[in-house]
Formats: sequence, C-alpha cells, structure tokens
Amino acid sequence: MTERINISNLSKRYGATVALSGVDMGIWPGEVHAVLGENGAGKSTLVKILSGVVSSNAGSISLDEEIIRPSSIIEARRWGIATAFQELSLIPNMTVAENLLLPRASSGRFWPESKASIFERANEVLIEWEIDDISSQSIVADLTLAQRQRIELVRALSHAHCLLILDEPTAALPDTSWLFRQIRHVTSQGVSVLYISHRLNEVREICQRATILRNGATMGTVDLEGVDDEDIFSMMVGHESSHKNKASQENATNKEVLLETDQLASKMLKGINLKLHAGEILGVAGLEGQGQQELFRIFGGLHKPKSGEIKVGNKVTSLNSPRQALRVNPGIAFVPEERKTEGIFPSLSAAANISIPNFATTGWAKIVNGRLERHLAAEAASQVGLSTRYLDFEVGNLSGGNQQKVLLARALMTGAKILVLFDPTRGVDVGTKQSIYAMMRHFVDQGGAIIFYSSELSELVQLSSRCLVVYDGLITDDVAANEISEERLLASAHGPVNARKESIQEAV
Amino acid sequence: MNPFYSVTDKQDTRQAQRLNSTTIAVLTIYGLVVLMIFGSRLVSPSLGGISQLMNVLYLSSFLVICAFGQGLVILVRGLDLSVASMITLGGVLSTTFMQGTNEGLYFIIPGILLISALVGVISGLGVTHLSIPPFIMTMAMGLIVYSVCLGFTEGTPRGFPAPMLNAFMQNKVLGVALPILLMLVFILIFTILQSYSAFGRKLNAVGNNPDAANIAGIAVKRMTISAYAISAACSALAGVLLAAYANGATLRMGDDYLLPSIAAVVVGGSSILGGRGSFLGTVGGALLLTTLSSMLSALGVGQGWKTILEGIVILVALIMLREQIFTGLQSMLKKPN
Repeated sequence: MTERINISNLSKRYGATVALSGVDMGIWPGEVHAVLGENGAGKSTLVKILSGVVSSNAGSISLDEEIIRPSSIIEARRWGIATAFQELSLIPNMTVAENLLLPRASSGRFWPESKASIFERANEVLIEWEIDDISSQSIVADLTLAQRQRIELVRALSHAHCLLILDEPTAALPDTSWLFRQIRHVTSQGVSVLYISHRLNEVREICQRATILRNGATMGTVDLEGVDDEDIFSMMVGHESSHKNKASQENATNKEVLLETDQLASKMLKGINLKLHAGEILGVAGLEGQGQQELFRIFGGLHKPKSGEIKVGNKVTSLNSPRQALRVNPGIAFVPEERKTEGIFPSLSAAANISIPNFATTGWAKIVNGRLERHLAAEAASQVGLSTRYLDFEVGNLSGGNQQKVLLARALMTGAKILVLFDPTRGVDVGTKQSIYAMMRHFVDQGGAIIFYSSELSELVQLSSRCLVVYDGLITDDVAANEISEERLLASAHGPVNARKESIQEAV
Repeated sequence: MNPFYSVTDKQDTRQAQRLNSTTIAVLTIYGLVVLMIFGSRLVSPSLGGISQLMNVLYLSSFLVICAFGQGLVILVRGLDLSVASMITLGGVLSTTFMQGTNEGLYFIIPGILLISALVGVISGLGVTHLSIPPFIMTMAMGLIVYSVCLGFTEGTPRGFPAPMLNAFMQNKVLGVALPILLMLVFILIFTILQSYSAFGRKLNAVGNNPDAANIAGIAVKRMTISAYAISAACSALAGVLLAAYANGATLRMGDDYLLPSIAAVVVGGSSILGGRGSFLGTVGGALLLTTLSSMLSALGVGQGWKTILEGIVILVALIMLREQIFTGLQSMLKKPN
C-alpha cells in the first residue's frame, strides 16, 4: 500500500522568520492522523499549505505519488482535499444551503438555479451527514457556534474525496460522537483525515497515529497505542509538563458574597439562583446552548434579563452596559469567548490593548503617559505570563494564546473583583492554559471571585472550587469541590439529577 | 516563571512591527511634498522657492482643518459627506452675523462652532442610535444644511467678515502668515488629541473593534457622536477662515474641500475602513494635494487636465502606500545589519 499523502521537508517562511522548517509526514489511505503541537508549532501553516491558502517555500507534497502544489482552496478541492477551518469560513449573511454548496452555489448555467432546488440539494447533503436540527434555509448568522461548526464540518466532509483536514473540529462541539461517526464513515471509504486538536483524549479515541510538531519541524510520528500522554507532552514542549493539582480546596462558601442572582430569567434562562463568594472559582458546566451564554452576557452587561434580581456586593444592581458592569462595586469584568470579534483591538499595540481600562493617563488633559502605560501593562502581563517583549506588537499579529493573555491582562487592569470568563482557554495551547490557570488561582487568592464556563470538563474539574451545571436554563446541580468529577458533571449536564432519578424510580 | 514561556514565545518573532511602517509612510509623503515644491523649479524658475512653500502652507490650512474632522470620523468607521455644507454654513453664518464689524466677534465664532457641532451631534445620533449608514446620514445632513443656507440667504450670502479676521488672514509674524501659525498650533494640539490622549485612544479602539470597545467599557456611541461633532465644527471653522480669506461667503465655497478632505486622510495612510490613522499623516496628505493643485494651476494646466492629474497622483500615492511596499522597504533598510 502506498501513502495517500506524503509531505517531505516542507518549509515556509514569512519574511525573515520561519514558520515551518522541514515537516515530514505521511498518511495512509483511510487513516486518521493527528498533528499535535503547541500554538505556533506550525500546525496552522501546515493546514494552510495543504489547503492552498498559502504556498510553501521548499519541500514537496505528493498525493498518491503525484507531486501537487495547490495554489488555491478551489484547486486543492479539485484534488479532493477539503478543510474545515478552525476560524470558521462560513459567510454569515447567507443561508446554510448557499454556504454548503459554495463555491458552486448555483448549478444553473445561464439562469440562476431556483431556491427550491438549492435547498433540496442542500437538504440531501444535510441528511447524508446526519444533521436533522438545522434547516438548510436558516441564515448562518442565526445559528449557534456549535451549529455553525457542524455546517463547516459538513461542507468539508462532503468535498473531501482524498484528504479531509480538520483544524480543531471540536472546539465548539459539545459532543464528539456525531463527528466521530462521520469521520469513521469517510475513512471507511478510503479518505485520509488530518486531525488537529488540543484534546488528547479525543485524539486517542479517533486517531491511529500522530505526528508531533515543534517550532515548525517534525519531532516524530508515533503510534498512539504505544505512547502515553507524558511522552507526547514532552515531545510537544521539549520537556515534561507539570500539571498542577487542584485549586486550594478550602471552602470559600462562608466568605463574603460578591455576586448573587435571584430568579434571574431571560429568553433562555428560567430562574437562576446563584451565589459567588470571594475567593471562589465557580465553574459552570453545560452542553452548548443551555443558557450559560446568556447568563454570562447578563453579568457582562451585554444582555438584559427579563426578570429577577442581580445583587453585586449585596446591593441590587441593574447591569445595563459593560461600562456599568465595570463601574459597580465590586466591578465585574467580562471576557467573551470570541476574542477576535469582541475582544482585541487588532491594530493597537498589546500595551494599549491592556491599558484600555484606564489609559495610563496623567494630568488634566488625560495625555497618555507612554512609560506609565508600559509599566502598568507589563505588570498585568506578568500576572498572566505574557512576555513583556510583545507589549509593543500589534495584537492582531500575536498568536491566539497571546491574544487571550492580553485580554485577561486587560480584565485585571480594570481592577474588577469579579471576573466573568466564558471559555477562557478555547483554542489555546497547553502552555497558555497553564498560565491562565495560574492567573485565575492567584486572582482568587487575592480575594477576587471568578465565575467561568468551560467546554472542557477536565478543566472544570481541575480548577473549580465549586461547580454549577446548567441545563435548559436552570441550574440542575451544584457540586462541591471534593465531589467534582467529569462523570458527575457529564451526567448532570444531560438533565437534572433529581428528575432523572424520579423517572427511574417511576420506571422501577 | 512559567515553564511554557519559551515555546509560546518563539512563534511571535515573525511579526514585523507595523508602527514603523506608518512612520515611514508619513515621512515619505512629507518627502514627496518637499521634492515637488523644490523640484518644480526645474519646470519653471518662478516656482520652487520658500515663497511657494509658504503659499502652499497657507492654502492648505483650510484643508488641514477640515481633514482633521474627516479623519476622526473615518477613524470611527464613518464618513462625513457634510463637510462642504458645513464649510458653507460656517462662512454664511460668520459673514451674516459679523456684518463687517468686529463687534461680538468673540461670541460669534464660538457660537458658530457650537451650532455646527450640534449639527454634527445630530449626524452622530442618526448614525449611532438610528443605525443610518454614515454615508447617507451625513449626505442628508449636508443637503439640509445647504438648503437652509440657500433659503436663509435667498441665494446670495451677504455681509462681510470682521475686519479683525481679514487682518488675521493677511498679517505675518516673523515672515510667517498667521493662518500658518494657527495651523501649526492646531496640528500640535490635535495630533496630541488623536494619538496621545485617552480620548484619542478611545476613538482608535472604537474604530478598531466597536464590539470589543463596548465590552471594554468605552461609551462607543458617545465617542462616535463626538467625532461627528468635532468634524462639523472643524469644517465650520475652515468656513469662517475661508470667508475671511475671500472677504465674503458663497454657497459653493465648500465644494472644493469635500473630496480632498477624504483623499487627504486616505493618502495620509489612514485606513478608510477605520481604526487606523494619524493626524500627521493626514496633514501630509493635505499638503501633498494642495501642492499638486497649486503647482498645476501655476503651470497653467487646464481645469480638466488638472483634475485628471490630481486623480492619477492620488491613485499612485495610494498604490505606493500599500503596506507591502513598506515592509519591503523596511527589510531593505534592515539588510545591512
């Protein structure tokens, strides 16, 4: 058997700096092959070269022993290479159908194809890939992130005849079983899959082999059966990673309550009662779209509740804008999940991005004091483990992990005592995750409080000093630190514990 | 210290700092202006001296002032098409109220600025609260203002600017015309305002990413409205000065400034999509456009050809200003090391 795809000594420079410096790997037909590495190891560049977004400077790619050099996404697709990008590439104002059929949304030659026929063709695609909860006529912008991700995946799946490239396909998926079923389906037909994910247990579940990249070069290809996590980590980072143990287990629930809600209701929420204490990292678990997003956006001042009360520092408050949320006492700083669209100011420097909350100004004219700005920004940056040499860089040029650090540093700069973090480690590498964890722990040790949602259960288990589970707009479980386990959270996330117990009892 | 530092660190070394390329862009524009002025000596010996430089500076002061406001509006992702009408408004109001005397001058000018700023606030409100596209909102506002001027003056603006203003436009200190000095002070203050003050930072942030600015606690709508208000007031100020310069107002006095005000901002290296720009660049753009226009007039080029050549120069400048060229230049400059 010959390799489906063979990559040899692939290199890519951007200007004077090297993104890839000699990547070698091969994928068998029907294999699911993982590419592992920290952010910036070169995974995205590799994906971009294979899918035709950028071209390489040196080295070769051969597909079924024929050298190829895709120079555009459409050309790559002609060879049967299709990619589901991490930063989803759907067009928000178009329907699901039009997006799915791009770039050939209309099959008519002289006359535009009728809407009905487009929807019909799209429906066939949706049915083929087992999507029954999304209408082909809905506008992409109206879908949840998880739904959009599935559409992005379906588009790649339906175009991949030789090689399917999945870049962080589960970043927004609450559940991998659908995706893995589809992957097994395509591989059974001989399609090879290049799978990129930060989640090692997923990789172990679906992939056979893994190639590890570090600093743009291949560190080696391993059979996943034969290595343990520690070996993979050490290949990725060049030394053994140290996973810190759980946050201090001391009980914070008898400390001062900083944030409290009473029967908070909105479109998705049906009466949330919660208390956030000083010194506490309150985790929130839940499947996608159970109302957690609304809850967090209410705290951030971006969404107005329909009814119910919010008490901040024991005073009933209405949070009408993020500005107001930051100004209440103690302040609330919200860090949204979409750092590109709602977080960063791409063409401002990292220092300016961090110091936005107070601008480091002096004097009555509020002139920005460059040295003070740098000093303050450097202080905040050191707390999140952001190297100070990035402070003068435009944030748009930094990697996702460093952008996230900038946003967290900004949240610290606000002086808020309550941090509201929605999926703070989404799509960031292991190293950045550890920095973020360290910062969160430090923050609550200083008397602050954090409420955070994560799509990764292991993270909730590792960090939370208490964990709430939301299901269908209600808090269905409140798990104390010593009882938190992935199994418990997962079980509660699929419905209220009591209700299920009752139904089981009834059945008995 | 985080043990993972080193790995995350290495990846970001590939990024060139764009802050430098902006500086190079601005310097290039100024270089081009100087080159054009002194180079024009080759074409005609009567051109290309200090006196022509002064002349260009003098004439560009009007454009610099209204282009500053335009630049702020563009910075917050808008576009101000009411510039021409606001210049007319400033001119008409000043000649009508001053009536050729110095009486009440110190109330009239702030009054005009206030009235025009209010007009700008209305444009800003339409953009922020009614979500009317800036293009349409300011065009409509401009039409309304122009029509009011038309009706108010019954077609022919009467009156004259205050003699003190006339004198201001004509007098010199140490051989430098007062309007040039005013422009220099204006540039100094407003460069600081746009690039080095909290206010400017907020405007930059709003233009960069309005959603993020909102979450970061910036009053996005208020900042946007203030940009429109400042732009309207700047245009009106330019109108007051123009009326004093021409010793009277006309209804069409602002027409020559609308498109150049946009061109100056864009040629000066600002992004027309907002979020990036410096006033010093805009000043360079205004100087470039004024130099070009005055040179072509001096050479006796017909109006049609003049406009064509201006268009070509703007195009060439824009193509040259594209980032790639500057990153190229940068790497050339770096090579010797």
